[in-house]
Amino acid sequence: MRVDPRRWPIAFKVPVAVAILMLVAGAVLSERVLDRLGDIQQRHLRELAQGYLDGLSSAVGPSVLRDDVWEVYDAITRAQVQYKGLRPSEAVVTDPRGVVIAASDPRNHTVGSAFVPSASRPFAYESGSATARAHRELSYPGRTIGHLYATFDTSHLAAERRDVIATLLITNGILLAIFVAAGWLVVARMMRPVRVLTEHLGASSDGVAVPIADWEVQRSRGEFRRMFGAYNDLSTSIAERDELRKRLAEEERLGSLGRLASSVAHEINNPLGGLFNAISTLRSHGHLPAAREGAVGLLERGLAGIRDVVRTTLAVHRPREGARNLQPDDVDDLLVLVAAEARRKSVRVTVTARLAAEVPIPSGPVRQALLNILLNAIAAAPPVSVVELAVAGTPDSVTFEVRDRGEGLPADAAAMLTDPARIPTAGAGLGLWTTRGLVAEIEGVLETETLPGGGTLVRMVVPLARDQALADVA
Amino acid sequence: MGTLTLLPCVAAGAPSAAAPIRVGLTPVFLSSDLELTGRLAAYLEKATARPVELVTRRTYQEVTAMLVAGQLDAAWICGFPFVAHRSELQLVATPVWRGQPLYRAYVIVDRDRKAGGIAALRGDIHAFSDPDSNSGFLCTRAALAELGERSETFFSRSFFTYGHRNVIEAVSSGLAASGSVDGYVYDVVSELEPKFVARTRVLRTSEWLGFPPIAAPASPPDAGRLNVLKAALLGMDGDADGRAVLALLKLDRFATEPMGLYDAIAAKAAMVAAAG
Repeated sequence: MRVDPRRWPIAFKVPVAVAILMLVAGAVLSERVLDRLGDIQQRHLRELAQGYLDGLSSAVGPSVLRDDVWEVYDAITRAQVQYKGLRPSEAVVTDPRGVVIAASDPRNHTVGSAFVPSASRPFAYESGSATARAHRELSYPGRTIGHLYATFDTSHLAAERRDVIATLLITNGILLAIFVAAGWLVVARMMRPVRVLTEHLGASSDGVAVPIADWEVQRSRGEFRRMFGAYNDLSTSIAERDELRKRLAEEERLGSLGRLASSVAHEINNPLGGLFNAISTLRSHGHLPAAREGAVGLLERGLAGIRDVVRTTLAVHRPREGARNLQPDDVDDLLVLVAAEARRKSVRVTVTARLAAEVPIPSGPVRQALLNILLNAIAAAPPVSVVELAVAGTPDSVTFEVRDRGEGLPADAAAMLTDPARIPTAGAGLGLWTTRGLVAEIEGVLETETLPGGGTLVRMVVPLARDQALADVA
Repeated sequence: MGTLTLLPCVAAGAPSAAAPIRVGLTPVFLSSDLELTGRLAAYLEKATARPVELVTRRTYQEVTAMLVAGQLDAAWICGFPFVAHRSELQLVATPVWRGQPLYRAYVIVDRDRKAGGIAALRGDIHAFSDPDSNSGFLCTRAALAELGERSETFFSRSFFTYGHRNVIEAVSSGLAASGSVDGYVYDVVSELEPKFVARTRVLRTSEWLGFPPIAAPASPPDAGRLNVLKAALLGMDGDADGRAVLALLKLDRFATEPMGLYDAIAAKAAMVAAAG
């Protein structure tokens, strides 16, 4: 997995950024402090060493001229004590050829032996090292009479430096921890309103925008308070819109129920005249077998027609039927339901393709939506025209196509059917809007096309319930 | 330099008391001890009823020269310059140490050195005390002369420390591989400061020789001053303050000894002179 800092949460990013800044600042400061310390130590040491060399060289000068071993040794020994603070660890006095006249440690540098200096610079000290070296040429007016080499123990300076480094590390570490913790706390505190808002917005993707609690709003300050207020206003208006939509849907349902009821009444009323005629015939000519047979046959057919209409109506509007899969017969039932309306407008409804078997899509919403589309097509179709219904299954969906030969669906109405953002105005487009809602609930898609030569195609594609999609499709 | 001019009117009624008695000191004894010189001066002033001035110089030679020139009433010098200037000097008093007016010269080396005799020191860096010292120079040269050697060639290098204590330090520190030192000084220091001599050991001791004497010019600048000084020295062990000084010096007393006490040193000087 690649590490992408841009994806880290801000509550993590800010402390990390603080830590990096602190580390950089700490490193720069520490470097400056150590550099300065090194300078101070070096200057201090150099000054002390100069004093030591001045004192010792003037003390040994005449003795070197006389080659007086004891006096040179005595001067060196006294200087070791006198300059205790400088911690001279070794001093060697040689003649101009580098032959030892006397040294602080005569066993190491015996009188008369050759001395090879490790550094002939006047002063050599590396910050942090355990020794410093100094060299002084002993000169008697006009000529070199010898050399003085001194070594100083600077382990205490190195220890001081180590102490400073340890102090810097500990201090920086503690500061770093404090700043990172503070950064995390501050960011967590600052980001809290954003988190609250995000959580609420996340919840609202389920369709319900829950308002932010009052105490949370009271707690917040400044821009977040205004943001919470705006969100709550939005949430309220969404809730009001949902309420309105529900009310409109209910009204539409009642409206279509009324239309359906009148069409059902019409269906039942149509054969009633014939049935009453048959009853009259039975009453007056019941003794004639031919007349009786004819009247009874008429009664039976008329009642059968009424029974079909009632049964279909019951089937379509049976409560909690949405859970059942769609049967081929369900489509035929719709034709019965729209037959009266079609007849009234002298429109013929034909089925050009039908289902072969049950498909795993919810029958209730599909039939309700398809009924609305068919009624809409019949309403739009001119007299003596044909409305065609075609049903086709694919491995993962079922497509319903309804064609009419009308003047075509107005753009506004088509948008109402397909655009989720459109909301019906009072009385207009309510049927189409309801249909869109039904199809959206079962994750279907609605499309409209204007057919060449006039007319509209409305296509409804409903996906199969996933687990059965492949097994059950016809 | 200890100019101890104390109590100018100590000897009331003695007009000549105004001229101080000048006594020269050399590093023959435990030098550079201010308490010692202070007490010695105080005792001498009390005993002589005169102001006493103790004069110290770095080398024997300077003090000897002042003494011979009559600039000092007396001086505590070494036996070697005493015999060298025998005709110009007279013996005032000789210290008695451990019951005798005698001491020895030592040749010392590092404690861990295996050398068995002076012949093994060939090629050494050698520390002498003073060119006018018997124990710190003459005795070792005489011993080498007996072997047919000269110190200039026998040792690879030698130097003078102008103090017996310094010789011990030079050998202790390794500055010199061997050293010539006064046996009295070495023994007293090892008794008082064992640590100071711990790194050294005595390789050779000389025969007993006359202890460094208090000498005066043969014709003293003021016989009266010399007489009271001599009396003060010889009577030192009879006085509490004098005994305190003697205790510091680890000496028994001062005594009058014959000049012949220093004949052995004179013989050595003659032998060394003969050896060149």
